[in-house]
Amino acid sequence: MEEKRLFTVSSNPLVRTDRDTTRIMLDVIIALVPALAVGVYQFGVKVLLLLAVSVFSCVFFEWGYRKLMKKSRSVGDLSAVVTGFLLTCVLPSDATWWMCVIGAFFAIVVVKQLYGGIGKNFLNPALAGRAFLTAAYAAFMTSWAIPTTLGATVVDASTMATPLSYLKAGTAMPEYFNYGSLFLGGIPGSMGEVSSLAILVGAAYLLWRKVITWRIPTAFIGTVAVLCLIFGGEGYGRLDWTVYNLLSGGLLLGAFFMATDYSTSPVTLKGQLIFGAGCGALTVLIRYFGSYPEGVSYAILIMNCCAWAVDRVTRPRQFGVSAEDVKAAKSAKKEAKKKAKEAASA
Amino acid sequence: MPFKYYGGVHPNYEKTAAKSPVRTIAPPKEVVLPMIQHIGAPNQPTVKVGDTVKMGQLIGASDAPISAPVHASVSGKVVAVEPRRHMLGDMVVSVVIENDFQDTPCEDMQPLTPEQLKDPDAIIARIREAGITGMGGAMFPTAFKIQGARGKVDTLIINGAECEPYLCGDHRTMLEHPEELLKGIELVRIAHGLDKCYYGIERNKQDAIDLLNSLNPAQYGIEIVPEVVKYPQGAEKMQVKAVTNREVKPGGLPSGVGANVVSTYTAYSIYRACYEGVPAIERVVTVAGSGVREPQNLLVRFGTPLEHIFSEAGGFVGDVRRICMGGPMMGICVADISAGSVKGASGLLVFTDKEDRDIEEPVCIRCGNCIAHCPMKLQPIYMYMFVHKGDYKKMEEYHVMDCFECGSCSYGCPGRLPLTHTFKLGKAMLNAKRAEERARAEAAKINAAAAAGKEVHA
Repeated sequence: MEEKRLFTVSSNPLVRTDRDTTRIMLDVIIALVPALAVGVYQFGVKVLLLLAVSVFSCVFFEWGYRKLMKKSRSVGDLSAVVTGFLLTCVLPSDATWWMCVIGAFFAIVVVKQLYGGIGKNFLNPALAGRAFLTAAYAAFMTSWAIPTTLGATVVDASTMATPLSYLKAGTAMPEYFNYGSLFLGGIPGSMGEVSSLAILVGAAYLLWRKVITWRIPTAFIGTVAVLCLIFGGEGYGRLDWTVYNLLSGGLLLGAFFMATDYSTSPVTLKGQLIFGAGCGALTVLIRYFGSYPEGVSYAILIMNCCAWAVDRVTRPRQFGVSAEDVKAAKSAKKEAKKKAKEAASA
Repeated sequence: MPFKYYGGVHPNYEKTAAKSPVRTIAPPKEVVLPMIQHIGAPNQPTVKVGDTVKMGQLIGASDAPISAPVHASVSGKVVAVEPRRHMLGDMVVSVVIENDFQDTPCEDMQPLTPEQLKDPDAIIARIREAGITGMGGAMFPTAFKIQGARGKVDTLIINGAECEPYLCGDHRTMLEHPEELLKGIELVRIAHGLDKCYYGIERNKQDAIDLLNSLNPAQYGIEIVPEVVKYPQGAEKMQVKAVTNREVKPGGLPSGVGANVVSTYTAYSIYRACYEGVPAIERVVTVAGSGVREPQNLLVRFGTPLEHIFSEAGGFVGDVRRICMGGPMMGICVADISAGSVKGASGLLVFTDKEDRDIEEPVCIRCGNCIAHCPMKLQPIYMYMFVHKGDYKKMEEYHVMDCFECGSCSYGCPGRLPLTHTFKLGKAMLNAKRAEERARAEAAKINAAAAAGKEVHA
């Protein structure tokens, strides 16, 4: 008799979305291109070289670690490439190539792979890499090259202060730091954070592609804006103070690209709002009272540590369960406990 | 105005067959009618090998309350009563009939009289005797469902969402038999003893909504509710929520909140049983998917071997991997296509390597899509973890039992985790655990009673 053909069986569903992890990572890479393009324009081709070194080291460490530990290959998901891109974005252009390699090692091996790889790390790898480099090479990490657009204005130095340091010191901003230059990117800063416009373009792409949702960035930026408006700053008008705080430093990059990192942020919808608000509050706290002018990266890293706890306390009620049901269940439980106690004592 | 519910996904609808009218296919040489085509007690064959049967003749019945009889879908000779492969995998006692291609009708079942058409008891008796089950896929005996809900529910919802991709049999029925369908729905309403009922239809079938509205559904006591296009709109709980804003309790049935949901093709089958005296012997099946040469809607006799249906649709193309009964989101895979089609098979979809997006080592990237998509507002990401760990306490705490396996989480998972599959597993684990606990408690009780008895004897 002819062998009967049997078809494969599997659980439902039989169709799945075409968006996989690789596609999401590719979207993040695409979204970072405008910000880094502005970086290249402002700080020169060196940015591209550092980017290449970061990406290459991240991919190499990811591949090497998995190979060494005899784990499945994971470089194909492009997450290491994203880490390389993000690491470049948060480093100053004065960083050296070996700093990129060290940062990549810390980010990929210590922060990501030691905890099991993609989805398992509890700290944002790129930000952790930056934090490590800040601790190890503080001088490099706080020296800011003059952007191309200010080359003609600032001629007597090779480095300059960022808008944030003026805010921190409470001294008036020089003329060339105005709303326009902050928005378009004519300021010193990390390679991917200077242009608010470029970051917003990338963020719009991510939102359109539904890679990120509005929750974390809105809560993050909103909290910073509200707190700045309420408390203001010495030597500045309230509105000026708020706008400068929003447009300078890594706030936008952090809110759209770092805080929204999947593995290090809560998954519940309410939790995401709390997480964003927490990041915002900590950022303001550090900028007001901390010893560094910038607080975004530490704010995000601190909130990263709370992500799972936030998830646990923000579980929604499941379908079909009302607030009264939950209350009733709680009081029934209490009653039962009381009864058990009474029975035990009697 | 329909109410909103949380979650859901928007798969590619691929309703390529929606434009093609239903085509009646040539009956096969042989039909294989399994004695279980419903949820409940299996039927006993009422015919034996060598008997001549007419089309529509009763061939399998059961006295159990939850059951639905089976009728011959062709006329001819019974050539075998033996275990055959059921579409869903098990070996089931089946009646095999050799078709004589005469389609000699059986006179046992006559159309109901006009008086009977107004009598709930007569309608329910006819639904039962015609072997009608939930045609949406669940195959729950409809007569029992209506009987159980009668007097207890105040809202009847007819489910015309057809939210599953590919499927368009209900859509075609609405377009091709609108009046019959409305009359069928009226019968279901009368059987429930209600004055009014709702017919929920997704907005992607606007032509059908317009057509049905033009026939004045109010005269049948029907209000058409256009619904948002979102999977799983057609799930019972979602239908009840969308139409009445009531939420079925965890572990409960729609009747628990005073609602009952009956699917479109069930209502149409009820029309045919009551007005025409035709029991459940055929249905519209959407044959589609990337592996089918000519996707279309076919009117198929029950028991028709799937091979025959596929050859009517032009056969397979490409590297065919999986075949499913029902829609792609909740459908059940069929391994053996020599099996006969059953009552709940609203669609037969053939998928090739193109749809096979599972990967060898799925990894969760904590994107949270599953949480955003779960219509039950569960947290698949954590449930998956706890099922894998075998942590029963946490599985209960995260309500694994409340998952109704709609597949939305797996659909939207970029890491390709087998989420829905894992929850099926988790539910089975929890059920086994509960059964074990019950057995232990019972044993303890028996032993305690025995020990007490001994003491008394001593």
